[in-house]
Amino acid sequence: MEKSLRQKRGFLFYVSIYKKILLQDLKSKMSFRADFIISTFGMVLTNLSGFVTFMILFHNFPSINGWDYHHMLFLYGFSLIALTPVQCFFDNNWNLRFMVRSGDFIKYCFRPINVFFYFISEVFDVKGLGQFAFGLATFIYAWAHIGIPVTAVTIAEAVLFLITASLFMIALMNFAAATCFWIINSGYVMVIMFRFKDFAKYPASIFNGVFRFIFTFLIPIAFVAYYPSLVFVTPDNVPLLSWLSPLIGALFFWLSYKFWMLGVRKYDFTGS
Amino acid sequence: MSEAVVMKNVSKQFKVLNRHEGLKGSIQDLFSRDYKIVQAVNDVSLTVMKGEIIGYLGPNGAGKSTTIKMMTGVLEPTEGEILVNGLVPYKDRTANSENIGVVFGQRSQLWWNLPLIESFKLLRDIYLVEEKDYQDMLELYRSLVDIEPILHKPVRQMSLGQRTLSDILAAFLHNPGIVFLDEPTIGLDVSMKARIRELILGLNEVKKTTVILTTHDMGDVDALCRRIVIIDEGKKIYDNDIDHLKNYFGSYRTLRMRLSDDSWVEKVIDESKTDVMHVIAETQKTSRIKDIRLEEISTEEVIRKIYEGGQGA
Repeated sequence: MEKSLRQKRGFLFYVSIYKKILLQDLKSKMSFRADFIISTFGMVLTNLSGFVTFMILFHNFPSINGWDYHHMLFLYGFSLIALTPVQCFFDNNWNLRFMVRSGDFIKYCFRPINVFFYFISEVFDVKGLGQFAFGLATFIYAWAHIGIPVTAVTIAEAVLFLITASLFMIALMNFAAATCFWIINSGYVMVIMFRFKDFAKYPASIFNGVFRFIFTFLIPIAFVAYYPSLVFVTPDNVPLLSWLSPLIGALFFWLSYKFWMLGVRKYDFTGS
Repeated sequence: MSEAVVMKNVSKQFKVLNRHEGLKGSIQDLFSRDYKIVQAVNDVSLTVMKGEIIGYLGPNGAGKSTTIKMMTGVLEPTEGEILVNGLVPYKDRTANSENIGVVFGQRSQLWWNLPLIESFKLLRDIYLVEEKDYQDMLELYRSLVDIEPILHKPVRQMSLGQRTLSDILAAFLHNPGIVFLDEPTIGLDVSMKARIRELILGLNEVKKTTVILTTHDMGDVDALCRRIVIIDEGKKIYDNDIDHLKNYFGSYRTLRMRLSDDSWVEKVIDESKTDVMHVIAETQKTSRIKDIRLEEISTEEVIRKIYEGGQGA
C-alpha cells in the first residue's frame, strides 16, 4: 500500500499541490491590499531606476564591445525575464537560515512530500511579476528592432532558453542558501551571490579572461543571459556553450538541489 | 495488541566542535578536528503499544526531543534500532511520515496566512486522504470541540490556544497510527489546557491513536497518561504505571492533626509499615483530635524528586 501511495505522488501531484498553495496564498495576499500595492510600486521603481542607469550608460557608450543599443536591450530584457523565477518562486531560500537557526525548519521534515518542494512552495513573491512584465516588454521591443524572425522555432527556442537560463540563478541561490546548514554567517554568502546577478545583463565578452572564466565555469552568471542570447543575437556564429546551456542549466540545478538536500540530511536539528 | 514503537538500545551522540575565541580561533575552527562528543540519548529501550498514551518526561536537555526526532525519522540513531509502525524511520522517512502526526508546542506547522479549513484541505491532498474519511474526521472534530469559530480564521490571527488546538487537529487529520505531542499545553490558560486534554483523550478513544506526549505540566500527565517514561541525561530511569510512581519513594502520606490545644501535629506515614487509622487511634489515646487532614504526595512532587536525583526506596 505504501508503494502505491508513493507512486501517486508523481509530477502531477506536485503540480496540483503547488497550484493550490499558490492560489490560496494569492488570495490571502490580496487581503493585505496596502502591502500588495506598495511592494508592486517599489518593484516598478527599482526596475525603472535600473533602466535609467542602463540608458545613461548607453548615452555615453553607444556600443559595448560590438554590442549596439538594441542588442544590449535584448540582453537586458532576457536577463530580467530569466531572473524572475528565482524572485517569484524561490524567494523562501532567503528565510532558510533563520528557520534553520531557530529550529523551525524541522516542520518541513514531518510530511510525506519532498522537503525542498515543501519549503520552497511556501512563499510566492508577487514582486517578481513587475520585473517580469518589464523584462518581457523590453525583450519584445528589442526582438522586433533587431529583426529576429518570428517563427514557431524561434519562439520555442526563446521559451526553452529563457526557462533553462533561469535555472542558473535558482541553482546559485540554492547553493548559497544551503550553506547555512554548515556555516553560521551564510547571509553574506547569499547577499554576495545575489549581487552577481547584476553582471548578468552585460555581454561576458567585455570581461577579461579571468573574470570570464569565473562567470562561465565557477559562478555561471554568464549563462543567465549572455550565452543563451547569442543564439538569437548572432545566429550565424553560436558558440557550443550556448547550445549546451539548457543541459548545463538542468545539471547545475540538479546539483544545487542535491547539495541542499544533503544539508538537510547532515543537519543535526539540535535544540528543542 | 501490537507494538506501535519499538526502540532497542538506542543511543544518539552529537559531535560538537570545541570553539575557540577570537578571530584566530574562528580560523582555527574552520580546520579543527577538535570535537567533543555529547551523548544525548544513552542506551534507551522502549516499547509502546498501539493505542497507549504515554508521558515521556525528563528535565530540560534530558534527551526527550532527540528521541522524538529519531522516532519521526529526522535524526538517525548512532546505535540501536528503532521501528515505528514496523518501519525504520530514518531510512523510510516519507513512508513513516504517512502514519505519524507531530505537534511541537509553540511552533505551528500550518500555513501561516491560510484559514484553517484551507490548511486542512491542503493536508487532505498531501496525505491523499479519501474525501469520505476527511468529512468523517471533521464530523468527529465537531463532536469533540467547537471548531466553527476558528475554521475560517487565518492561523496568524489566532491566539496561542487556538493555534495549538488547530495544530493538534491537523496532526490527527490523516488518522495516523501515532501522534507525537511535544509540550502541547505550554503557555496556555487553564480552560484551554482542559479543552486540549479532553480533545486528546477523545481522539485517542475513538481512533485508538497512540500518543507519545512530552510535557513539563504534571496536569497533562495526570489527565492523560496511564504510563510514564522518565529519562535523565539520556538514560531511561523510570518506565511504569503512573499509580506505581506514587510508591516510588515508598507510599508516604502526610497526616496532620489538630489537637485539643489547637496546635497542629504532622506525621509522615509510610503506609507499607503502618496505616493511617492506627496512627489516629494511637494519638487519640493521649489527646483529643479536633480536626484531621491527609495529604497525598503529588505527581509533581515525585517527579521533582526523581529529577533532583532522589533514589527510590
